[in-house]
Amino acid sequence: MSGGPPKGLPSTGPHSLLDMPHPLAGSSSEEAVGGDSTPSPDLLMARSFGDKDLILPNGGTPAGTSSPASSSSLLNRLQLDDDIDGETRDLFVTVDDPKKHVCTMETYITYRITTKSTRVEFDLPEYSVRRRYQDFDWLRNKLEESQPTHLIPPLPEKFVVKGVVDRFSEEFVETRRKALDKFLKRITDHPVLSFNEHFNVFLTAKDLNAYKKQGMALLTRVGESVKHVTGGYKLRSRPLEFAAVGDYLDTFALKLGTIDRIAQRIIKEEIEYLVELREYGPVYSTWSALEGELTEPLEGVSACIGNCSTALEELTDDMTEDFLPVLREYILYSDSMKSVLKKRDQVQAEYEAKLEAVALRKEDRPKVPADVERCQDRMECFNADLKADMERWQNNKRQDFRQLLVGMADKNIQYYEKCLMAWESIIPLLQEKQEAK
Amino acid sequence: MEQAPRDPERQLQPAPLEPLGHPDAGLQAAVGEEAEGARDEGSGEGTMTENNFWLKKIEISVSEAEKRTGRNAMNMQETYTAYLIETRSVEHTDGQSVLTDSLWRRYSEFELLRNYLLVYYPHIVVPPLPEKRAEFVWHKLSADNMDPDFVERRRIGLENFLLRVASHPILCRDKIFYLFLTQEGNWKETVNETGFQLKADSRLKALNATFRVKNPDKRFTELKHYSDELQSVISHLLRVRARVADRLYGVYKVHGNYGRVFSEWSAIEKEMGDGLQSAGHHMDVYASSIDDILEDEEHYADQLKEYLFYAEALRAVCRKHELMQYDLEMAAQDLASKKQQCEELATGTVRTFSLKGMTTKLFGQETPEQREARIKVLEEQISEGEQQLKSKNLEGREFVKNAWADIERFKEQKNHDLKEALISYAVMQISMCKKGIQVWTNAKECFSKM
Repeated sequence: MSGGPPKGLPSTGPHSLLDMPHPLAGSSSEEAVGGDSTPSPDLLMARSFGDKDLILPNGGTPAGTSSPASSSSLLNRLQLDDDIDGETRDLFVTVDDPKKHVCTMETYITYRITTKSTRVEFDLPEYSVRRRYQDFDWLRNKLEESQPTHLIPPLPEKFVVKGVVDRFSEEFVETRRKALDKFLKRITDHPVLSFNEHFNVFLTAKDLNAYKKQGMALLTRVGESVKHVTGGYKLRSRPLEFAAVGDYLDTFALKLGTIDRIAQRIIKEEIEYLVELREYGPVYSTWSALEGELTEPLEGVSACIGNCSTALEELTDDMTEDFLPVLREYILYSDSMKSVLKKRDQVQAEYEAKLEAVALRKEDRPKVPADVERCQDRMECFNADLKADMERWQNNKRQDFRQLLVGMADKNIQYYEKCLMAWESIIPLLQEKQEAK
Repeated sequence: MEQAPRDPERQLQPAPLEPLGHPDAGLQAAVGEEAEGARDEGSGEGTMTENNFWLKKIEISVSEAEKRTGRNAMNMQETYTAYLIETRSVEHTDGQSVLTDSLWRRYSEFELLRNYLLVYYPHIVVPPLPEKRAEFVWHKLSADNMDPDFVERRRIGLENFLLRVASHPILCRDKIFYLFLTQEGNWKETVNETGFQLKADSRLKALNATFRVKNPDKRFTELKHYSDELQSVISHLLRVRARVADRLYGVYKVHGNYGRVFSEWSAIEKEMGDGLQSAGHHMDVYASSIDDILEDEEHYADQLKEYLFYAEALRAVCRKHELMQYDLEMAAQDLASKKQQCEELATGTVRTFSLKGMTTKLFGQETPEQREARIKVLEEQISEGEQQLKSKNLEGREFVKNAWADIERFKEQKNHDLKEALISYAVMQISMCKKGIQVWTNAKECFSKM
């Protein structure tokens, strides 16, 4: 699979950042999937921004447009609009262009990661690399390791039951791509995580495997110390806000699970309804063949039912591809949150235990030993980081669910509008000869 | 007051219409404004002849249904539903209607009336009754005859039947029909006195018999074929439609679960709570809207069912033609063979094998006197046969003419009615789509406020 030459650029006029391939993108064997055609710039943009006419000045924020789009691309747009800490955005990351690789040992999919940034941490203004799922998994683990006081966004599920799901089907790959894109965007949005060096390497390195083998990346002071917190300390009292979040997350996850089940059930019922409709429509056709004057009306009704069937199929596909995965992701997200909360509890417990030990040992010594101070430090850092992340999480959750549910409502509205149009358009056909009489 | 002219092609002559105590009760009924269902029975106008313009219009309605208990033929207690039939005459001048007759009938009496009409008007496509037992039900609908929804739909169907008969140019003049509307007691006996029951049995037998017609009118053969296909396709349609209704019900009802879970979820949310809660309410509205939608669709199914049963009536007319034609062909065949026999006897040549001929050969000739006698008998039979054949031919042609006229009338009615049914079905679908858009738009607004 040797690298092919980069595709020709549109030469004049202002064009999207995405149109300009990375100078090094076409030449490396790792990321290029040469010989295969890269999608046209239009398609690229449509994928990530949902609007073909978007033009991005260098480093600027893309303007939102109001064209109807899938809930996740709407989500993408929304997250891009979100100003972190009041600053304008200076880092854009996109996941697209999935490609299948067939090797002797295995077959897998890679995705193209395009990065554009003006940050000093990046040597070049743009990068384009290819990564596979296990690279994302590696990144997430590294982030958890190196930033244990922060909430790391979830990845789509790692394992798929072979035989049940076709992991090379277009729908599966697209669903996964969207989830991976969201994963990276959430990190991008994060004021601390986005500066993580593993993240940087993930976005820019031509040979990620070499870096992985190095293993020893720099850990932050807090990270190092928190890594060594052992469990087994009993917590005295959890601060109210963290206790509340814990309870909230328990109920939240339950409700999401219920919604997931309901949504699945609805899709199942809709598919069964679709099956019957597909038999129903053609019977009118059969009937119309027997008739004379009624031929056209009956044929019209048959076609109409066919159109409604197609609209219904689109609805169920959309719900399966866009709605369910996002729900599931949030269940994973709340699980991540809970494990971070547990870690925090442990840090607090350790601190309390050490404090108590000191108090018991030397009642008259007013000075607090250094290591207890360090524990306190650690705990307070953790609390602060986590609080900030929780707030961020709550805001994002609110936006995400608003988008998700509005999207669901939209899809249903569109379905009914398609059916309405179909039925309204045959009324004149049905009434036709009546008036002639 | 003119009497209805006798129809010569009818095999039996029911008593001509006589006014019974209602000096101005001509039975030139036109459909009343109280007609149930979206049917246009305008053809009733055509029954008015010039001299009848002074006769009043009649309105018929089956206005009530009531559960009754009584004793049946075997003196066992039974429960049945009785239907109130009201007849009103409408003043031409001021449009006011006056109740002239009101009586109760049960389904079996309707059946009796229809069977009578089938026997006495074999050339007419007789309107069908609503089904005896609920068929093509989807799961929520009850198949129970006592179920109030079923009874209500049957009430409408029975009214429709009466209106169809009343607006038929020939059937509306029938005396038994008139008595059905006006004479509560003794009506059954009156019908049975016509002796139609015997004919009904032989008719049924004949309809089911298999025989081969050599020269049927091709139009009737095609039409019979069409009626078979129509029955098959409408049955299929009704079956699938019932399944579609079932599935649609499921889809809507499951959405109701969103209502509950959104409500529970909203309890743990701060800013999102209100939006979720009110959206949940809309999901409940959505889920419950399906009941009315499917109720309306049953009406469409009933319209299709009527034509499913009409197809049977159409088929019966075609079979009647085939029967008459077969009868005619048999009679002609019999006549031809008798003529031949006669000729052989007269000329002494035996062209056809006959046992008599053989035995005569073997055991001796018959005498000339015997032969003469036989020829005479045959000649009488031949003459009789020729008369019969002539009248059968005439009957057959009259039947074909009159039946075809009614078939043309029926075709127009069918095309008109089914088109109306399809339009009303499309309108129902449009209404359902609009409701869906409304609910989801409301929900969307709630979500966007989250």
